[in-house]
Amino acid sequence: MFKIYSSIRKEFLLLVSDKVGLALMFVMPLLLVFIITIIQDSAYKIVNENEIPMLVVNHDQGSGGEKLLDLLATSRLFKIDTLNSLPESALKKELLARGKMIALYIPPNFTSGLESNTGEISHMMMRDMGLETDSSHAVVEKMPVLSFYHDPVLQENYSASVMGVVDSYLGTIEKTMMIDRIYSDMDIASKSIQLSEKMASNRVKINQIVATNSNSVAVPNSTQHNVPAWTIFAMFFMVVSLGSNIVKERINGSFLRLKTMPTSFMLVMLSKMAIYVIVAILQVTLTFSIGVWILPEIGLPKLTIPGNLPAFAAVVFISSMSAVSYALLIGSWAKTQEQANGFGAISIIIFGAIGGILVPAFVMPEYMQFASNFSPLHWCLEGFYILFLKGGSWHELRSVMLFLGVFILICQLCTYIKLRIEKII
Amino acid sequence: MYKGPSIQIENITKRYKSAEEDSLSLVSLQINESDVYGLLGPNGAGKTTLISILCGIIPPSQGSIQYYIAGKKINEQERRSLLGFVPQEYAFYQELTPRQNLDYFGAMYNLSKTELSERIDKLLDELGLAKVADKEVFTFSGGMKRRVNLAIGLIHRPSILFLDEPTVGVDVQSKNAIIKYLEEINRAGTTIVYTSHHMSEAEEFCNRIALIDHGKVVVEGGLSELLIENGAANLQSLFIKLTGEEYRD
Repeated sequence: MFKIYSSIRKEFLLLVSDKVGLALMFVMPLLLVFIITIIQDSAYKIVNENEIPMLVVNHDQGSGGEKLLDLLATSRLFKIDTLNSLPESALKKELLARGKMIALYIPPNFTSGLESNTGEISHMMMRDMGLETDSSHAVVEKMPVLSFYHDPVLQENYSASVMGVVDSYLGTIEKTMMIDRIYSDMDIASKSIQLSEKMASNRVKINQIVATNSNSVAVPNSTQHNVPAWTIFAMFFMVVSLGSNIVKERINGSFLRLKTMPTSFMLVMLSKMAIYVIVAILQVTLTFSIGVWILPEIGLPKLTIPGNLPAFAAVVFISSMSAVSYALLIGSWAKTQEQANGFGAISIIIFGAIGGILVPAFVMPEYMQFASNFSPLHWCLEGFYILFLKGGSWHELRSVMLFLGVFILICQLCTYIKLRIEKII
Repeated sequence: MYKGPSIQIENITKRYKSAEEDSLSLVSLQINESDVYGLLGPNGAGKTTLISILCGIIPPSQGSIQYYIAGKKINEQERRSLLGFVPQEYAFYQELTPRQNLDYFGAMYNLSKTELSERIDKLLDELGLAKVADKEVFTFSGGMKRRVNLAIGLIHRPSILFLDEPTVGVDVQSKNAIIKYLEEINRAGTTIVYTSHHMSEAEEFCNRIALIDHGKVVVEGGLSELLIENGAANLQSLFIKLTGEEYRD
């Protein structure tokens, strides 16, 4: 027992003597969580919460343009800035000058054009039903054309969504005008309001449901992504401390010295793993506590801890073991401390990038999404995503556990082989 | 007092993987209890390979080694407990203090906490490290680091002690202190097997030597007899006479 205690104590003393390693493991994730969450939070809000700034020039001489603006305003999707004095020719320039993403131009003939066309349709319907109408003086105007301007940096699907919203409101206006016109032609204009109300309440509704396994409705936000992501990144960064620690022991002969002693080398390795798994658990505790208690204090979203605590503990443990095993692998194969630090750190940044730590994997090109499957950081993050955003069932965590389990085995096996080659084991 | 063999080496050969020549070839030696036995030779002669095999760090390609304590053959596990090894490198943790290093390595020798505590204090005092017992080793001079290296090899009071160049790169004072201490523990019964490039030091310290070159034992025996037999005035003359004057890189 004293032997095990001494071995673990030695690893602890080595760890606390490495001030740079400790800073990388504990201060770095906190800084990253703060900085990246603050930066990304505004981006998430643009998509999830913020109103879209829209510049509108309404030159319509009737009431249709105003109705359209009212509908757009009540949707709470847009922050409308009206500038009716502006000619259409200057709209493009003004859009860019004001930093707006989108602009809508309503032409002078918007209402009259709509009325003229609905009048024609109404006349055709009346005639088909055998009801005579007087249309001898009617001149049909062209259907009005609205212009939709957008910043060139705006993604195509984003502008298409906005156009879809505008189009849907146009449909509502056209429909109302049509009913009014038909009822007017039939001399029962007062009844058109009842019909409009009936049609409005008769629409098919769409229920929006977040697909999670529990009753949780946690929606992805900057905290929910960044806290686990940068914690995983920092866990794997222990390669700088643990990796170089192993290289040092290999090179200076301490490992070989141990071989002459009545002790098992497994004790040495297990002590290292135990200390660094504890370090990883402390990293999770620290950064997650920041996510729960500190981030909301500075106006950022609160981290929601998943309900399935045993699964949460399992994901934390297997992620820690993956990080420790990777550090052992680098430490056993690197020839110098510089190699371990340099290769270790760069490989973690690359794994992080392709694994969706820096940018979520779903926004990457397809081939990069495929590549992310080969990053252990991706699978660790996937484990946390399953817990945080999907309710986290053991069944769903199966593939995460399987991949990380295989990864740990490969790392440990390669470490064993190298230490065998060097006659340390 | 028993003066029989402590280590019996028979026909040890070692060839590393992918090497074209043997690093050691049919080496046979007998090291008696309480000997201070010098393994001497130029660079690349095979001294470190032989000492690594004797300590159990690497296995021989062929041949056998037997260890005895007071005439009784000992097994592998006993050997690990009774053997001490002081490598040429500073094979310890320079971020830790001498006391922390001794605590750790002593525990690996299965010493109890109380026993270890007593031994650490005594050893640090004897090797002049008591005042710096709680300072990190990386702040020490080369001589102090050598003494820490030696202390770790002695913490369990070994019956057989292997020293690979224990005084390399240290000042005269430290070298003198180390040799005096080793002579003291040898008088107390510890068998010492030692490699060095310092011929004058080896001449003063060893009672028997084996001169190794190109993986083979060139001469072996009592130091004074070897000097007389080969008509050499001192160990350095004998060394040059038997190994030549060419560079060994």
